[in-house]
Amino acid sequence: MSDIRQFQTHPEVDVATESPLAYSLQRSGAPAITSTSQVILRERPCLGHLILRGGAIVLDEALREVLGLSLPSQPHGLNHDASGERSVQWLAPDEWLLIVPGGEEFSLESQLRDVLGDSHVSIVNVSGGQTVIDIEGEMARAVLMKSSHYDVHPSAFPVGKGVTTGFAKTSAILRRPSASRWELVIRRSFADYLYRWLLDAGEEYGIGVER
Amino acid sequence: MSQSAKQPNRLAAGGCVDRNHTLNFTFNGQAYTGHPGDTLASALLANGVDLVNRSFKYSRPRGIVAAGSEEPNAVVQLGASEAAQVPNVRATQQALYEGLVAHSTNGWPDVQKDLMGWIGKLGAPFMPPGFYYKTFMAPASMWMTYEKYIRKTAGLGRSPTETDPDIYDHMSQHCDVLVIGAGPAGLAAALASARAGARVILADEQEAMGGSLLDSRECLDDRPAGQWIADALAELERLENVTLLPRTTANGYHDHNFVTLHERRTEHLADSAPSIEGRRQPRSRLHRVRAGQVVLATGAHERPLVYANNDVPGNLLAGAVSTYIRRYGVIPGRRLVLTTSNDHAYRAALDWLDAGHDVVAIADARETPDGELVEQARARGIRIIPGSAVIEASGSKRVTGARIARIDREAFKVIGPVETLDCDTIASSGGYSPVIHLASHTGARPSWNETILGFVPNTVKGVAAAGGARGIYPLADVLADGADAGAKAAASQGFEAVFETTALPRVPAIREGEACALYQVPHEKTTLRAPKQFVDLQNDVTAAAIELATREGFESIEHVKRYTAMGFGTDQGKLGNINGMAIAARCLGRSIPEVGTTVFRPNYTPVTFGAVVGRHCRELFDPERYTAMHQWHVEQGAEFEDVGQWKRPWYYPRHVNGRLESMHEAVVRECRAVRERVGILDASTLGKIDIQGPDAREFLGRVYTNKWAKLAPGRVRYGLMCKDDGMVMDDGTTSCLGENHFLMTTTSGGAAAVLEWLEMWHQTEWPELDVYFTSVTDHWATMTVTGPEARKPLAEITDIDLDRESFKFMDWREGNVADVPARVFRISFTGELAFEINVQANYAMHVWKTLFEHGDKYGLTPYGTETMHVLRAEKGFIIAGQDTDGSVTPEDLGMYWAIGYDKPFPWIGKRALSRSDTRRTDRKQLVGLRPADPAVVLQEGAQIVFDPQQAIPMTMVGHVTSSYYSPTLESGFALAVVKGGHQRLGETVYLPMADGTIHEAEIVGTQFVDPEGERQNV
Repeated sequence: MSDIRQFQTHPEVDVATESPLAYSLQRSGAPAITSTSQVILRERPCLGHLILRGGAIVLDEALREVLGLSLPSQPHGLNHDASGERSVQWLAPDEWLLIVPGGEEFSLESQLRDVLGDSHVSIVNVSGGQTVIDIEGEMARAVLMKSSHYDVHPSAFPVGKGVTTGFAKTSAILRRPSASRWELVIRRSFADYLYRWLLDAGEEYGIGVER
Repeated sequence: MSQSAKQPNRLAAGGCVDRNHTLNFTFNGQAYTGHPGDTLASALLANGVDLVNRSFKYSRPRGIVAAGSEEPNAVVQLGASEAAQVPNVRATQQALYEGLVAHSTNGWPDVQKDLMGWIGKLGAPFMPPGFYYKTFMAPASMWMTYEKYIRKTAGLGRSPTETDPDIYDHMSQHCDVLVIGAGPAGLAAALASARAGARVILADEQEAMGGSLLDSRECLDDRPAGQWIADALAELERLENVTLLPRTTANGYHDHNFVTLHERRTEHLADSAPSIEGRRQPRSRLHRVRAGQVVLATGAHERPLVYANNDVPGNLLAGAVSTYIRRYGVIPGRRLVLTTSNDHAYRAALDWLDAGHDVVAIADARETPDGELVEQARARGIRIIPGSAVIEASGSKRVTGARIARIDREAFKVIGPVETLDCDTIASSGGYSPVIHLASHTGARPSWNETILGFVPNTVKGVAAAGGARGIYPLADVLADGADAGAKAAASQGFEAVFETTALPRVPAIREGEACALYQVPHEKTTLRAPKQFVDLQNDVTAAAIELATREGFESIEHVKRYTAMGFGTDQGKLGNINGMAIAARCLGRSIPEVGTTVFRPNYTPVTFGAVVGRHCRELFDPERYTAMHQWHVEQGAEFEDVGQWKRPWYYPRHVNGRLESMHEAVVRECRAVRERVGILDASTLGKIDIQGPDAREFLGRVYTNKWAKLAPGRVRYGLMCKDDGMVMDDGTTSCLGENHFLMTTTSGGAAAVLEWLEMWHQTEWPELDVYFTSVTDHWATMTVTGPEARKPLAEITDIDLDRESFKFMDWREGNVADVPARVFRISFTGELAFEINVQANYAMHVWKTLFEHGDKYGLTPYGTETMHVLRAEKGFIIAGQDTDGSVTPEDLGMYWAIGYDKPFPWIGKRALSRSDTRRTDRKQLVGLRPADPAVVLQEGAQIVFDPQQAIPMTMVGHVTSSYYSPTLESGFALAVVKGGHQRLGETVYLPMADGTIHEAEIVGTQFVDPEGERQNV
């Protein structure tokens, strides 16, 4: 596939790395988690994020072959592999978000491209442009209700669902990997605004941030 | 008892107040006490405070009339401190708390000795409806003066002059069934829906849920109503699928069952929201509810009767009298006269008697009242005067008597002698009006129901009214109707709901006599000559005003409303509207349904601005987008410029000789650094779109004006993008990464719009092209190293061969920069040698800092957007959106070199360039301007004329689009659009300014510096 120029973004030597929330954590601080914290935030920085576009059938086959992970069969679906570390989420009828441990994305893209051959697909590395924030705690849902118009009640938002939706005055990907944990996938440039928004929304619930 | 001495009207027992605890508060500077469970109104009544306000227009003394949101008079200003001031608070809805401070909103110098009262009295005959329109019309120039005094004497409170210390927020809610109102119908509805498993929200505006049951004389399952309320609420609280929202007003019903609920979370606790363990909590919250089905269980408001001097303190609604006695343990007077058209109001007399005070008489407008409550009153020895009504109240600051006479309702006249009874309180009831406000917000007009003598709501899909809200009043029927509505609502959302009458509490039916229609009570004198008979107490609208309005030709009720102000303001016609319509109907000789209603609008009761704004204020007002190097810019003391939502460094002022540079000084220094040595710009905000697919190249050829067929991998090309009208929409460079792989850049502000544009054309017009677009704007951080010495610092930290022959202008290369894999593009927006370095954003700060470690010795200077603008304008490089405004074609810009006229597929906008209008030779065309005086920097936006001698209005032939001072030219210079400008090089144009000066400038080419473009190729 020399017609597509794949690019390894990671340096071979250790260099200073700053996740999208690095500045915000320093500037706005990270409130300590206490026994009364009903909401807990945690950044999962520097993961590998790939946007897959193409036909569902070829991508599903390739993903199963390479990762043992199948594409969600329904819109708004979110699938994880057995380890829980790799996930693929439906974003649009021809678009999925693949999140894997940081550093895996280049080889994964190569493997997928090998398997996909001449199929018309697009695989784009967006790892530097977004980050994942975990939201947990008994008032996590209240914070989401203050931030998004999407219905996050368990009856409307079961485990294994993910949506792209309005969040505060911007947008975010909101997903629910488990009964107790929500994930926000946010864009780097909006990260500081959203971090400040979340701290504010969670203040009354004693929000704490895990470093 | 010392307590009763302090609160002379507090009953020894009864009500839901906690007499074991005392709360201190002040009203108009006077200290009083009350109890937990009181509202401000009940506490004022307990303390015997008759006078709570002055009226809006006539400044008449006013007292408390009602016990709920329909209260028109007791609208107070709340707040102990300036910052906590809240206007428009109805004392009947404000829970009492320790330290509460309230003031009357009207009355100057104070409510007791009111000067305006004299004006009101003297001026009253001269203040007919439309008074302001008629009196203050001329001369028009005086309106500003009039207005100052009118504003001073009118109004319902004031805004705080200090910043509100509180926070407010929004919450989105979704439910199957939203029940509004937690009286008997609402509780029954909520129980029925919730038991079926539906997600239910039950909202009620009062301090306690229960509605009319809170002061009911009736028993449910042989127990006092309060016990049934407690059981119902306990069950609802247990259910996980139920959200209870007390102190929450449904203030607006919007399209598609979107309802806004205003929850007052801490207003019953203190002026300002108390913090919990140092954490702020919102003072109030706006719930934005999307409901599958809405049940309006909003109950009914009692209508007062309209008789002379019915506004003197001591005139109350009959139901309010019951509420104050039974719910708050407060007796609002000693000697009661009740005037009524119906049985239900007899409760007030019975409650009054139960409290141990005298009921002087009941004037019943019906000839033969005979219901169960009537019989009870008769049995207890109360004097009932049939066929009669109170026609006038005596007294000024408190009722001292009631004038009662036989009346003929049909003939609208007094037909018997007038008897004056000694009393201090008159309770009146003219029947009940279903609270149809929210149903009216849907746009559905209500219909008149002759049986209940009230308007009942017509509802749209997804909404149902239940109980009193649709004119069903007997308690047993209300409960059944509520349960039925709740069950149906749940069923409509797919829940299996069975309505079982056995689940309802047993309520013995009370036989009620038929009510009669009475609104305005006739007086011995005609309406225009009788003492004032108030219809709308808040807006001081009288029966005479309505009669006068109809005589002056206002026949539509909507016109009567606007002419008289009836139903305006915070009141929204809760008490007065039906009476006003009935009076208009009488005067016009029509029926009430013929006259119809005015439209009730949101909000039902006022909502504080803070709740409307929520948290979208101050530092959270709008998103701020930061680049990966933002922290460095902040630490360098950069000033920032807003570019869309991005915060971009504008310039970096330095301390020079102990003084911070001005913007001009900083920009001159930064410009010189780039032109003479080397500068660096954070260009990360540029939109970046990764394009993949075998048809990517073809697609580019269709959306860009220029040619892409031969761009080889490793090469970069500038492109112009037009809308289909041929006007420039965006521009940028696109690099060929591989045969089927491109990286497009867009303007910082245009990134999202361009991506949508590409997707739209691909999805709707050319789905057969195999191509995908993905935004990578945030993934790559971009830093531009530019200037004649740009190679030097970069060469020290990269393995890329920077030789001018192997890495040419408009090439891109891969390699490492500061050990980080990078794509480096030799493109230039300054006209100088330039390298645009893209690295994955997480490593950007490292690369940026490393560049400075190596660049210091070469004078590497960070520059901001202002310098970028100067440098690009010196080269005649446009900024889409600044030098173009959606009416500029590529030809207008003179960019023929970027137009592929002979491309095989007609690119977007091509056809538009052959329209007669785009072919005109006198179109505004982009040119350079050189001011005759080099010290002049023309104003951007300044209009251009050819003939400065022409009389105003002059013929304007263009305007300045970009203008700066150029340190390189040591002169001001500008880009501008001028009619036929391309043919006018060398001509002189003029720019007349607002202050009378006229600048002179020469039309020149757009490239002021290095017009041959040699410097970028070095």
